[in-house]
Amino acid sequence: MSASLSISRLSFTYQSWGIRPNDPLFANLDLRVEEGERVLILAPFDKGKTTLAKIICGVCPKYFPGTLEGKIALFGKDLSELQSWQLLTECGYVSQNPAEQFIATTVEGEIAFPLESLGLSREEMKTRIDRCLARWGLTELRGANEEELSGGERKRVLLAIQEAIGPKLWLLDEPFDDLDPRWRTQLRQTLIEKGKTVVVFASRYLAEFADLFDRTLLLDERRIIEMEREALLARFAHVGGDDLPNPMKTQQLSLASSHQLQARNVVVERQRHRGTAHQPFVLDVENFTLNSGEVVTLTGPNGSGKSSFSRLLCGLDEAKGGAVFLDDKEMSERQLNRNIGYLFQNPDFQIFLPTVEEELSWSLRRRREIKSSEVTRRVKEAAELFDLVLEDTPSTMSYPKRKALQAAVYYLLDRPFYILDELDSALTYHAALTIIARLRERGAGILLITHDHVFAKHVEGRAYTIEAGRLVQR
Amino acid sequence: MKSNTNALKIAVTAVLTAVVVVFTMIIRIPTAKGYLNLCDVAICFIAFTFGPASAFIAAGLGTALADLISGYAQWAPISFVVHGLEGLFIALIVRSKSGEDVSFLKKILAGLVCMATVSFGYWALSALFIAGPAVALAEVPGNLVQSGVGFVLGLGVSMAVKRAYPPVRSLSW
Amino acid sequence: MNISTYISGRGWLYRLDPRAKILLMLLLCVFFFLPISLAGLLITVALIVVVGWHNTGKRNVWAVFRSILPMLIFMVIFSPFSGRGGTPLVQIRSFTLLTKEGALQTLRLAGRFIGITYVCTLLFATTVMGEVILALRFWRLPYKAALVITLSFTYIPFIAESFDRISESHRLRQAGPDERKNYIQRLKDLMPTLTSVLVVALRSIPNLAMSLEMRGLGRDEKRTSYHSLDSYTRLFTDLLISIIMVTLLWLIFKA
Repeated sequence: MSASLSISRLSFTYQSWGIRPNDPLFANLDLRVEEGERVLILAPFDKGKTTLAKIICGVCPKYFPGTLEGKIALFGKDLSELQSWQLLTECGYVSQNPAEQFIATTVEGEIAFPLESLGLSREEMKTRIDRCLARWGLTELRGANEEELSGGERKRVLLAIQEAIGPKLWLLDEPFDDLDPRWRTQLRQTLIEKGKTVVVFASRYLAEFADLFDRTLLLDERRIIEMEREALLARFAHVGGDDLPNPMKTQQLSLASSHQLQARNVVVERQRHRGTAHQPFVLDVENFTLNSGEVVTLTGPNGSGKSSFSRLLCGLDEAKGGAVFLDDKEMSERQLNRNIGYLFQNPDFQIFLPTVEEELSWSLRRRREIKSSEVTRRVKEAAELFDLVLEDTPSTMSYPKRKALQAAVYYLLDRPFYILDELDSALTYHAALTIIARLRERGAGILLITHDHVFAKHVEGRAYTIEAGRLVQR
Repeated sequence: MKSNTNALKIAVTAVLTAVVVVFTMIIRIPTAKGYLNLCDVAICFIAFTFGPASAFIAAGLGTALADLISGYAQWAPISFVVHGLEGLFIALIVRSKSGEDVSFLKKILAGLVCMATVSFGYWALSALFIAGPAVALAEVPGNLVQSGVGFVLGLGVSMAVKRAYPPVRSLSW
Repeated sequence: MNISTYISGRGWLYRLDPRAKILLMLLLCVFFFLPISLAGLLITVALIVVVGWHNTGKRNVWAVFRSILPMLIFMVIFSPFSGRGGTPLVQIRSFTLLTKEGALQTLRLAGRFIGITYVCTLLFATTVMGEVILALRFWRLPYKAALVITLSFTYIPFIAESFDRISESHRLRQAGPDERKNYIQRLKDLMPTLTSVLVVALRSIPNLAMSLEMRGLGRDEKRTSYHSLDSYTRLFTDLLISIIMVTLLWLIFKA
């Protein structure tokens, strides 16, 4: 049996745009995957799994500058002699973040594009597209714009594209994330099908699919590590910080003052855009309460209204039907803006300035009652607490660091309440819990939104969920 | 990064065009011709950060598409020419080898060229194809203000973006 | 942000082949600049408005008119500037405010402007953008240009939404209780927002280039097209009709 993928002595370092050089991401990495094998690579966030996948697809360092050394061969052919577009039928990549792979305006067009690249006839394209849309439950969404789709639907579009192209090697990054149980089952079936080699990078929900794979490897210390299964899992847990104590359990809170945030009889509405088969949803919130020092979780499936409710709670959208109260006083939207900090899922929407130092001091400098020396002191303190370097450029920092920066910004704002939207996506549980603990330090009340039930269990406190269009406490 | 691959050129042009469209449409102050908007901020940013070819296409196509989408399709060809040339001229003037700083004099020149191209270009083409010299004159003050302020803001934004996102240097073609 | 120019409807204009529609639009625009009688110009414009009314509905026709009304008003106000030295029409004391030539010239310019406006807007109101681009490709628009335009349309909503989210983040970070905002302050606050929007947009470029290549852009095989204009079966007839229509108008109305 020949190898579908053979990597030997791979080293890679991202180009540094600042004064300090970057640490190498991989050093002497070896990996060999036989044809038809199914391999699971355990990869905690930030260890380079996305980079590795992009290198295999031939687009890194082409579009992500860095120095690459080593040999990579795909199905016997040396990667350095191939162009990335020639790999269309050899190797297909499904990203953890579907939005970054979209190029067309409709789902149908998205699947059609690579088929057009292959020069297929229109009939052949139509057959394949219809079949793959049906297989992944996207037939009614064929004309929909990707913006309108939920996270799970977007994942399914990517999977449908893979099936339509039918590459020999499938590289999947956290494919089970975001999918409803029904589609997870289908993905399992798809992966088992003959005729393809499968490499999956994953770091969570392992229990659901770890049994599918012939081999399990670990990406750590800049290379691939192969070990006996139990030891591997233990080491993986250690790398991900799972064996570290839950930072919230040992926390001592100092509650300077106690507040209560309440939403009463509020109705959250959202119109779905035209072109999809979805109904506009309505979410009834009879009573939602959050107290200082508490951590409350809100779970629910994709698209059920969690983010819409949060936007209402912090005054970005108007509250219909009822109102939001702080300490029993009805709050206007502007007042809510100033009292509730909402951390978007995407940190890049909340970072504006060229350096960490400027970012952290921006809000403080606008308040004239704070002296300049005091601003500097607080900024330094926050940077140390969240492990940030003041001169760094946010846009070139890794994702977990940008999340930490986002949290640090809000920490300095010192709001009585915080809403954390899907904090745990692309962060280790430990990193996410650390951020929650720090924000909570001065007694803030926290609403944590997540669709990961395992993560929610790590957080002790009241839990709300969305059932049949109503927000209820469990 | 190889900046001369087809895919990168297409990607850069498409995204920058979209940027111009959004900047043109997102904040608007109504006037006679249409609206005062931020398109010149985007165009000047692109001209300062990218090369003449991208500036020409993104500026021209972007403003034309924005006109189209906003229901001013009849202005699209004129916008294409005027703003395309605006982007092209500024980019040509401030083009420097590998990131050395542009002299203050060149910046002033670029600013004047920007304002002149937009005001004169719109005046001339409107006079020819729309409504005659006198009416076309009415738009000139607005265009002068928009292009002038847009140039200054575009310059500022360009410097801020280069600091905030250093990899942008590798994207220009 | 609504970026669709299409208004659904069911007239003959919707059934006209887009490739012919583009030709028709261009020919009509040229027609308006030819030496034709003023009456002919105005009749043609009226015909076009009627066609627009019949195909896309009263509301759309009125909306288009409202959008060009300021310009038309300007034209009327500036009418004294044209045709000076002609036969006086409106006089104040002994000062000729408006001449007959000036009035006619203004009428011609206004008519032409209205005509061109409706011709252009009707093309995009009755044709879906994807089909417009396919039609342009028929008229030799290079594939790369068509791809750039299509991709722009994909990214416009993304960038617009980023702007909204970033502006909202700004709101959430406002420090003091009542920040008085004058124009200078507003402009200063706009800068970080614009910078951030641009950074978000720029960061998507390598991903887009990567995705294009990973989806096969650049392969040796000749690229086929999934979408087509095959549903329009009367291309030749429609092209002929377009040419004949405008030629007739020219012959009838030439000065």
